[in-house]
Amino acid sequence: MRTNRTFVLGAALLALVVSACSPGEDESPGASAGGGSQAADLPTLTVGSAGFWESAVVAEIYAQALEGAGFTVERQLEQGARDVTHPALVDGQIDLMPEYIGGYLAVTYGGEPTPDIEESLAALREELEADGLVAFEPTPGTDADGFAVRQETADELDLTTMSDLAEVADQLTWGVAQECAENPNCGPGLESVYGIDIASLDVETLGACSTAIAEALNASNIDVAQVCTTQPEIAGFNLVLLEDDQGLAPAQNIVPVVRQEIVDEAGDLLESTLNDVSALLTTEELTNLGAAIILNGESYQDAASQWLADNGL
Amino acid sequence: MTIGPVDVDWIVDNLDRIGGLVIEHLYLTGIAMGIGLVISAGLALLVRNRPRWYGPIIGFTGTLYAIPSLALFALLTPLTGIGTVLTAEIALVSYTLLILTRNMVEGLRAVPSEAIEAAQGMGYTATQRLLRVELPLALPIILAGVRIAAVTTIGLVTVTALIGLGGLGYLIVTIGTQRGSFGLTATLTGVVLAVGLAVIADLALQALQRALTPWSRGRMAAA
Amino acid sequence: MIEFLGEVAAWFADPATWSGRDGIPVRLWEHLWISGVSLTAAIGVGLPLGLAIGHTGKGARAVVAIANIGRAVPSLGLMGLAFIVLLPLGLGVGPLPTIIALTALGIPPIVVNAYVGLREVDRDLVEAARGMGMRAGEILRRVEIPIALPVILAGVRTSAVQIVATATLAAAIGGGTLGQLIYIGFNVGDQVRIFGAALVVAALSIATEIGFATLQRAATSPGLRDRAYVPTEPAQVGRGGADSSP
Repeated sequence: MRTNRTFVLGAALLALVVSACSPGEDESPGASAGGGSQAADLPTLTVGSAGFWESAVVAEIYAQALEGAGFTVERQLEQGARDVTHPALVDGQIDLMPEYIGGYLAVTYGGEPTPDIEESLAALREELEADGLVAFEPTPGTDADGFAVRQETADELDLTTMSDLAEVADQLTWGVAQECAENPNCGPGLESVYGIDIASLDVETLGACSTAIAEALNASNIDVAQVCTTQPEIAGFNLVLLEDDQGLAPAQNIVPVVRQEIVDEAGDLLESTLNDVSALLTTEELTNLGAAIILNGESYQDAASQWLADNGL
Repeated sequence: MTIGPVDVDWIVDNLDRIGGLVIEHLYLTGIAMGIGLVISAGLALLVRNRPRWYGPIIGFTGTLYAIPSLALFALLTPLTGIGTVLTAEIALVSYTLLILTRNMVEGLRAVPSEAIEAAQGMGYTATQRLLRVELPLALPIILAGVRIAAVTTIGLVTVTALIGLGGLGYLIVTIGTQRGSFGLTATLTGVVLAVGLAVIADLALQALQRALTPWSRGRMAAA
Repeated sequence: MIEFLGEVAAWFADPATWSGRDGIPVRLWEHLWISGVSLTAAIGVGLPLGLAIGHTGKGARAVVAIANIGRAVPSLGLMGLAFIVLLPLGLGVGPLPTIIALTALGIPPIVVNAYVGLREVDRDLVEAARGMGMRAGEILRRVEIPIALPVILAGVRTSAVQIVATATLAAAIGGGTLGQLIYIGFNVGDQVRIFGAALVVAALSIATEIGFATLQRAATSPGLRDRAYVPTEPAQVGRGGADSSP
């Protein structure tokens, strides 16, 4: 009868909405543990992230790990680019964010990062100090701008490194981001390190580090694509990431950046929890997370809690 | 589970996020409509008293209307900041002004003079006449404008995603096109929701119009 | 403020702004030809459709539906969808998705206005023409269209302005156009470029509006020029139209 059906449908819909609206309660393994008296002593943290999947999932992993350790955590994921997230961090709207050593140093602080982690991290930490921010230990994994080609292209032209690519650059159609000419890791860098003058080449503009650009590469609309090295589509579409043999890309390991005040309040537990997590984030792990989120359509929460569970955290 | 090309699981998993974006979208739309209505009402009253201003006002708001939204956001940016709500709202409000002001003025002008004379004859003050006679009679045309402005604004809010704000544009472009063909679900969801919001707004305002002007039901059947 | 405007002026004076792939000339040309192709396609599809429905008077519901859908679907959404659907087919790169989306966007105003324009033609005139022995095609050509021309052209104008405006968004799907300059500006936080490029876009849009308005007036026979048209229905015609200028 109509009334019954409507009721059941309505109830089902309500149940669906309610269950979807309780984030991570059933999923994050650590949420139930570590409550009680400890939580009262630990500060509440707001974890933020930039507007792309990798930043969001790493932030979510940090968030869930901290919850497991007894912190109360709020999230403000996918806030946008550095021009939004950096002021938010400095002003205290967010307390913790995963950042990339090279990118952060270059874009926000106008520094000149190198492929050397120690050097770049030291330079970054110096800049951060002035803003009242602290960077903990870096992840072993990195995610840098890179360039990929199709397997056939690599076979045909015998390409394994960027230097190889430089020799045949003008025979290929390049896919780069709209702002390549301003990005030190793209236009200017390609020129100074590999002698590739993008402005003179056949170029299509697409969002770098996106599935879209990988698909365009796959469909042969372009022959070279500006990708991010942890993109799951590289493996997924059987693409070849060219080796950065001349060191164009700077150190792009991820570091958790935290406000000094929070560090003072939270003590060692904050640092050790985050460092334990970071230590296990290898490039492979990051790529696998990407596959889960982009190729399998998982949510950040699910992917994060699954990863934490798999890694015994 | 997928229905055709749509990944329903993704939608369910991300219901939180989607819901937040819908609310953000409504919030941005609501502010623009609210402020737009107030300013347009002011402009319409101004034109009532000084009819010669109608041309210039329409000219100005019409010129604003012709400027593409991304460009208008860009022009405001040096004044009001990159990707701020203020920048977006000033632009969004500007776009409502042409339609709202024009329909308010035309609506008031379309009030039959007999009605005005009758009100004058009954001893109404100017304000009473406006509120009790002119406004109700002008309502169908005014509400037609509000409907169009609302639907237009809902569509325009999607563009704010390009300057870093949220709303359904985030689903459509930022998530959707980033993910290439894997983003079809996100983009489709964004588009369907945007259209849905527009349809709901349109129907709600139509219902409002019917409720407020029961005598026009026969005449304005096609509206 | 003055300082800033000085910087903008300097940007315009800088030859780099006018050279290369992301220089104004290249992107402006791209913007124009993509808009032109889309408008032509929209007219090609929309005009016959609108004229047919308007002449026969059947399918009015369809017209209202087209008008409403045309206004409710966000143009950015159309572009996004076109891009995503065409990408795995190998057609997503370049201007094609943009052209498809812009054409779809440009069709509703043309259809609606053609329909409304024809409907407005005095039925007596049509009857008289039929009485004189004219066939449908002739009536259309010699009576209905000339009288409906201002309204039809208003539709073309609305469509043109909308297309030129929306083409700006193509940058988001890699389609280039002048919007690319604004888009890059936002991505790298270059306020001068953002503003400068926006001025060019705004100028183009206003020029399109004025250009088509002039065309409309010029093509309207003098006897019809003073018809006052008060828009009350969703099918807005006349000054500027009211469909979304994104």
